Amino acid sequence: MTVSLIAGQVLSGLTTAMFLFLIASGLSLVFGVMRVLNFAHGSFYMIGAYLAWQVVSWLQPMGADFWIAALAAGAGVAVLGAIVERLLLRHLYGLEELYQLLLTYALVLILGDVAKYTWGTEQLSVHRPPILDGGVPVLGTTLPLYNLFIMLVGPAIAIGGGLLLSRSSAGRMLRAAAQDREMLGALGANVGALYTFMFIISSFLAGLAGALITPIESVVPGMDVQIIVQAFIVVVIGGLGSFWGTFWGAVIYGLTLSFGILAFPEFSLFSVFLLMAVVLIVRPWGLFGRPIR
Amino acid sequence: MSVPLTRTLVRPAAPPARRVPWTLLIFLLLLPLPWIGSRYDVFLMNQIMIDALFAVSLNLLLGTTGLVSFGHVAYFGVGAYVCGILMKTCGVPFIIAFPAAGLGAAFFSLVFGYFCVRLTKIYFAMLTLAFSQIVWAVCFKWDAVTGGDQGVADVPFPDMHWMDAVPGLGELSQNSKFYVLTLILVAVSIAAIGQITRSPFGRMLTAIRDNRERAAFIGLNVRAFELSAFVVAGGFAGLSGALYGIFTRGVFPDYVYWPQSAQVMIMTILGGMNYFWGPAIGALVLDWLNQEITNYTQYWPFVLGSILLVLLFALPGGVLGGLARLGGALRRWTARDA
Amino acid sequence: MQFRHVLTALVLGLVLPTAARAEDTIKIGFPIPLSGPTAVYGQPILKGAELAVADINAKGGVLGRKLELLPRDSKANPAEAVRLARELIVKNGVEFLGGTLTSAEAPAVSTIAKENNIVFVAPSAKTSSLTDPAHIHPYIFRAASNTTIEGQSGAIVMSKFKDVKTVATIAPDYAYGHDAVAAFIAKLKELRPDITIVDQQWPQLGEANFSSFITAQMSKHPDAVFCDEFAGDFVSFVKQATPLGYFKAIDNRLVDGGEVGSVDITRTLGSAFPVGIWANTYDPVIWDGPNQPKEDITFDEKVEKAIGTKYGSSWAIQGYVTIAAIAQGIAKAGTTDSAKVAAALAGMTYQTPLGPRSFNATNHDADAGEFWGVMVMDPKYPYAVIKDPTYYNPAPPAGG
Repeated sequence: MTVSLIAGQVLSGLTTAMFLFLIASGLSLVFGVMRVLNFAHGSFYMIGAYLAWQVVSWLQPMGADFWIAALAAGAGVAVLGAIVERLLLRHLYGLEELYQLLLTYALVLILGDVAKYTWGTEQLSVHRPPILDGGVPVLGTTLPLYNLFIMLVGPAIAIGGGLLLSRSSAGRMLRAAAQDREMLGALGANVGALYTFMFIISSFLAGLAGALITPIESVVPGMDVQIIVQAFIVVVIGGLGSFWGTFWGAVIYGLTLSFGILAFPEFSLFSVFLLMAVVLIVRPWGLFGRPIR
Repeated sequence: MSVPLTRTLVRPAAPPARRVPWTLLIFLLLLPLPWIGSRYDVFLMNQIMIDALFAVSLNLLLGTTGLVSFGHVAYFGVGAYVCGILMKTCGVPFIIAFPAAGLGAAFFSLVFGYFCVRLTKIYFAMLTLAFSQIVWAVCFKWDAVTGGDQGVADVPFPDMHWMDAVPGLGELSQNSKFYVLTLILVAVSIAAIGQITRSPFGRMLTAIRDNRERAAFIGLNVRAFELSAFVVAGGFAGLSGALYGIFTRGVFPDYVYWPQSAQVMIMTILGGMNYFWGPAIGALVLDWLNQEITNYTQYWPFVLGSILLVLLFALPGGVLGGLARLGGALRRWTARDA
Repeated sequence: MQFRHVLTALVLGLVLPTAARAEDTIKIGFPIPLSGPTAVYGQPILKGAELAVADINAKGGVLGRKLELLPRDSKANPAEAVRLARELIVKNGVEFLGGTLTSAEAPAVSTIAKENNIVFVAPSAKTSSLTDPAHIHPYIFRAASNTTIEGQSGAIVMSKFKDVKTVATIAPDYAYGHDAVAAFIAKLKELRPDITIVDQQWPQLGEANFSSFITAQMSKHPDAVFCDEFAGDFVSFVKQATPLGYFKAIDNRLVDGGEVGSVDITRTLGSAFPVGIWANTYDPVIWDGPNQPKEDITFDEKVEKAIGTKYGSSWAIQGYVTIAAIAQGIAKAGTTDSAKVAAALAGMTYQTPLGPRSFNATNHDADAGEFWGVMVMDPKYPYAVIKDPTYYNPAPPAGG
């Protein structure tokens, strides 16, 4: 157990954590405010990844700009989210959660096939933006610059989102909506617009996460299903509805995984499911969640 | 345009005198299939029956008790593996392996359910999902017992020689004999679940579904009832899994992967979760659609998703709910003319 | 009036029998994943199968009858594959089965093939249990390579690195990965008993995030690595390993048995491909060296046209080979009777665009090796290519 090994595992664990946080943050926001567990969040992530690849390949002749592609992907998925929320989701708000869950699952099925139809089934890859190529030596191990970037973006979003929720008037209304939607409506706030706004932000985050993942992961069919379970675990551990909870949940997930690999090399599969089960048994509302009945 | 949800949730109780013995009727209807239908019809119906039992068992939780379980495949899978491993690896006869599958599944539902029923709503659903993924992970990794990712292939048929003694059954093929066996077992199981649903125990469950707090206030041990429902549902799911393993001639970890939970839930809701036979109808429709549509297109998930959307927006009561509304509208229309 | 009737009758009399004959095709069922992560192989394999059917029908078919391919999407789900196999046999009347991809699908369909006495040739499943003594039956044939051949080939390549003393392995955590690594280690011990295995990593199949596995492995400082990651996993692995200095640390002495020399992968990674590693493929397509069989050149051009992407795919060959083998088996048996075709296929040598292959008489495995070589960037080509692809086919031990 050398310092460089520990440093390496900590840094790789934190990279994992921050990527998951990028994705899970949107999921957590939507659940926290709207009480909707959005299965299709993984699909938004995947569409964001495909969109980023598409924009990069369009921009190829003029020098592919990754950052434009990433923002375009986020924007594209935000538009998709707006359409989904306005046309479909809002009709199901008063109903039992089951119907909302099934709606989002239907979207998983549909969006998966839309992606397959548009981009085929081959695995795709996007190059790292040249400015973030290479790595820095840290404590005997190397930290890739792109990973460092993600590790900064993650907390930036957390802090930004957290500030937004606690300081701004929109944030106050969102928190009020989470507590008591009807009362907020009775007080004259446009809850519908609030929800749409929330969903758009969440979709943007998902699309952006998908775009930002493309330099380090391949874009393949099935990445939507693969990521959503991980995002659920993170949100559950941290606390459904707690934004900072999701952040720490992601950190715990990432570190559990990276040190679990050292301790039980062939059981990385179990470590995180067990983690989720244990948290749900011992503290069902997550580490930072408020007890919600 | 859409009917308020409350109206679809209330189901008028049928006075006992008028109750039609549906299970018996359907049994008699399906029994002649090996003689009058094609070989493929027999395969398809066999799959539908097994899925129907699985969906009806889920509906004991979903429609009757109001518990949204996203991990019901775990018990289906446990049943399939117990039966498959006992029959293939240990050479145990079906007559022992089958009930063992149900008991094994019931045992796991007891253990997992104990933790799950302490939670409600979304947390309950997430914990059921977590447990089912753990079961999947175990099935995937435990090479020595479950065969790992390759599963248990070549599960044998049960010993069906006793059928030769029954006139007419002797000349059927193995697959057709298994169809008859499945029909009998599924019919008995569904009848049993029906009995449970209509019993006082079942009525307690609907009370819990309608208003959990009130049920607790009037003195029901809500958790105990929910756990019992969980165990019963899990046990029957295990039986359906056992049959499925034999039907498919193999048991694989894909049976326990979480989208399968979504699939059976869709079946249940497609048929109408407020009707006892709804899930069975849902299984029929979904399996039939699956095999029809996959002949023409690779994009079955798109079709399934679209069907689900239509269901959620236009037909929340499922097929049977829609038929009931149609029937009600027809009655009102004819009554007006009179 | 009357003459017209006679003429119509004459024409119909000539046309109808031929029309009836045209409907009398030899149907081959082909369930294979066409959606989901495994479709990256399923789709090109299907294209190869379609090309084979087209080629054979252009030459008049087999025994005077044309072939007809019935492809279906198995979704990589063994229960669905079983259902489709049954439907194809019972409802569509297929006389032969090909396809499936994963190590669960192939054994599942193998059972159905056995039950119905239908010859089933699997183009890509490498799992050893498909044809091991417990599961072998007269009707199952494997056109794919297998994990034993793959692991042993990797060991042969590894043994040539004279200054390597410590080796690590990283492979997906399921039967395929475990079997290949086990075969690799066994053969390596035989060839180079001086090498020690210092680390083994087992990322999940479908893992997207390899960082922690990579850093853990690098901390053990191996001299070389045997890797069995493939497809999208390999792409993610490379994109994460490169900036961590993984390939530099082992001086690019990585041997990958997961067909990552395929043009599908080199095209995806482009300039990010870790040149200097050793990789294999069923069909190099871009042949950076002499001795490419002429039939392969023609074949690859057809594949490129059928798929529509530059250089097509290295996987189409397996679909092609499956159908070709079935057709040649029918021709040899002189009939489409399954039992006779099965008997004909066992031990038979069949022709493929890459040369002759044969099915082992006992365990029905193809003696299918793969083409190995070091990956280089040749300015002639837009992607990394295998330099001087060499066919490796260590003879598996008798009996599989």
